[in-house]
Amino acid sequence: MDEVIRVQNLSFAYKQDYEVLKNISLVFDKKSTAIIGQNGAGKTTFVKLLKGLLKPTSGEIYIKGYNTKEVSTAFLSKYIGLVFQNPNDQIFKNTVLEEVMFGPLNILKDKKQAQENAIKALEMVGLQDKMHIHPYDLGLSDRKLVSIASIVSMDPDIIILDEPTIAQDHKGNTIIKNVIKELKEKGKLVITITHDMDFVAEIFERTIVLNEGIILLDGNTREVFSQQEILKKAYLELPHVAQLAKKLGIKQTLLTEQELINFLKHNKLNN
Amino acid sequence: MVNLVVEHLKYRYPLGNELALEDISFEVKKGEFIGIIGENGSGKSTLCQAIVGLVPNFYKGAYGGKVLVKEIEVAQSDVSEISSYVGIVFQNPFTQITGSKLTVYEEVAFGLENLGIPREEMIKRIEESLKLLRLFEYRHFNPFELSGGQMQRLAIASVIAMKPDILVLDEPTSQLDPQGSEEVFQAIQDLAKNGMTIIIAEHKIEKIASYADKIILLHKGKLVDFDTPEKIFSREDIEEYGIVPPVYTRICKSLNVKNEAGFYPVTLEQVYYELVKVYG
Amino acid sequence: MRYLSLYQEGNSLLHKIDPITKLLFVIIAILVPIIINTLTMALAFFIISTLLVFVARAFKRTLPIISFSSLVIITVLFIQGLFYLKNQTPFFTLGPFVFYKEGLLYATGIAIRIFNIINAVAVLIFTTKPSDLIEALVKKGVSPKIGYVFSSVLQIIPQMMSIVDTILDAQKARGLETEGSFTKRAKAFIPLIGPAVLNSLISTKERAMALEVRGFNSKKKKTFLNEVPYNKYSNVLQVALIAILVFSIIWRIISW
Repeated sequence: MDEVIRVQNLSFAYKQDYEVLKNISLVFDKKSTAIIGQNGAGKTTFVKLLKGLLKPTSGEIYIKGYNTKEVSTAFLSKYIGLVFQNPNDQIFKNTVLEEVMFGPLNILKDKKQAQENAIKALEMVGLQDKMHIHPYDLGLSDRKLVSIASIVSMDPDIIILDEPTIAQDHKGNTIIKNVIKELKEKGKLVITITHDMDFVAEIFERTIVLNEGIILLDGNTREVFSQQEILKKAYLELPHVAQLAKKLGIKQTLLTEQELINFLKHNKLNN
Repeated sequence: MVNLVVEHLKYRYPLGNELALEDISFEVKKGEFIGIIGENGSGKSTLCQAIVGLVPNFYKGAYGGKVLVKEIEVAQSDVSEISSYVGIVFQNPFTQITGSKLTVYEEVAFGLENLGIPREEMIKRIEESLKLLRLFEYRHFNPFELSGGQMQRLAIASVIAMKPDILVLDEPTSQLDPQGSEEVFQAIQDLAKNGMTIIIAEHKIEKIASYADKIILLHKGKLVDFDTPEKIFSREDIEEYGIVPPVYTRICKSLNVKNEAGFYPVTLEQVYYELVKVYG
Repeated sequence: MRYLSLYQEGNSLLHKIDPITKLLFVIIAILVPIIINTLTMALAFFIISTLLVFVARAFKRTLPIISFSSLVIITVLFIQGLFYLKNQTPFFTLGPFVFYKEGLLYATGIAIRIFNIINAVAVLIFTTKPSDLIEALVKKGVSPKIGYVFSSVLQIIPQMMSIVDTILDAQKARGLETEGSFTKRAKAFIPLIGPAVLNSLISTKERAMALEVRGFNSKKKKTFLNEVPYNKYSNVLQVALIAILVFSIIWRIISW
């Protein structure tokens, strides 16, 4: 297996005696992965640990073989990128282009190359025409796309997105889905935190359910969504299609519209 | 009883070249639950802010037409003075925390103190709205210590406690997990049943489909349609406005399953009912 | 809790006295020894405010401030003891230095006055939540807007500090080396100021709207959630304090 990240017995606490994450062990290969769970389940903390912004209270995290405790966050940024939930937290330049160039300039130290990467990333999110605008003159949804581009432009092997679809309309959602697909094709590991189950069902191969600091479920997305009882315990919903299929008494776990349509075209319902 | 009238509302932001709202007219009755949908930039937030008078009183700019809340013209009134008639919850929960109160409980009191609500009544309302939004156990927390989702619920509780006749919500559940947003929608629905008029701009299309009595469809500042969810989502041209109907509606469109009135179903219950009829 | 405050929970008598009374005491403890400018008066107030510090159980927290100002006071003692203009009577000698009684007395007067002010203020700030003091002032007729500015600053400044942390994280996350030497850290910090300010300006605009719709500018008579849970003698105390002030002014005028 192509091991990209290894997490070993990871525990983390902000305050003493109050563990947000409890003894988590897992390995990420290149399968695109969704992390789901209730507010407060520890999802954002977990990705901040992967990114090296926080260090484990106990246990180890290896990013492409580097222990996050032993190297600096800046060093790790060549390998792993994190798009914050709130784009305002990570925007600090005066034009969209400068903003997206900030990362590649730091790691490449070559202005021409950095600019090339930045423009490519902006094309990917459809903002190439807004390169010279001040990021704060864009709406929140476009600003989020800027923050995604500014990580993509660094070309790390691992890209983590924290709630990328907040405040996005259909058009923005489609752009984000395409970016993820494109990154997958390039062989990147994409990890995404999200509350949007339809998005999980449509895009991600693997799904991890975090609940109160432990991993409740981890596996193939379809398998995870077939564990309805456990999901309920974590207060999670099924994707809309799966809800309908369940209500219709269909035993299989169907995740997309097309699957349900095909099923109905070829089968009779049993009730 | 009609309690919100919007008549030929036009608006342009001070530095804008185009109209943000263009000739918008509609009426809403007491206790109705109205959804506003449209792609980003279609004018949803501007319309929300116009209903409470922040447009034009806070932003200035060019304004035409009328918004009447309980027959009061909001553009001519002070936003603070009409805040007991019409309230708004914004998208960003963080900036809705006043910053001058040390506990969640006191935070909810802020608006009530300004309105001069007597103390006993104040306490009653604070506790009611905190319980409704499941924040009562956090009442002694500092508002800034809450998570994004909890802050969002606090912002809603703070406005609900002011008991406005009309409650406007601009994407109030963006930071909430599925269960959290479901709870918020249910709480708001209860308020509507008790006579509060609800107007909510929201991207979560399935939620709007199952909770709204009627939907306003905006596109480039214009009101395209104002009708029931079934009719709006059954429009053949809906995707041209940047809106994808709920997944249930899409499935029924593909299978060409309509209800008796000739529209595609939009909620889980409706779609189940129609599909069982055809495929059962 | 991120909140700029020196208040410490407690249940001393002084915690139970209302903020306005304590504020009045601070004003009087400062003004009266100035109006009646005698060493006895200064000493009297010094003794009272010191006693109150003990009653408030705030001695431990006041001590650092006292010790810090003592450094200054000792210098004053030295200088005045040696060089005060009216120095006549040698008091003691230390090596080649002769200390004079007049200078030392003068410096002691200053010291007592300063310690008096420190103690009086300490009693107020260590036993009163700033928010309570502000609310009490608003109830007394201070504009709620001014009240809001003070009370929100106490919370929003710490909030801005946390925005700085977040942006610093974001920069690290994008390959800027911020761990290590001072220059590296300074280099990272300077470009941060712009976004932090911009961020808070935008928040300010949004927050202004949010306040507006919560009736902040309403002309209705404000009510208050928090009742005055304080000592019923506070009126008596306040009258007494004001009487002391008035008396001292009259005294001063009569004995001109």
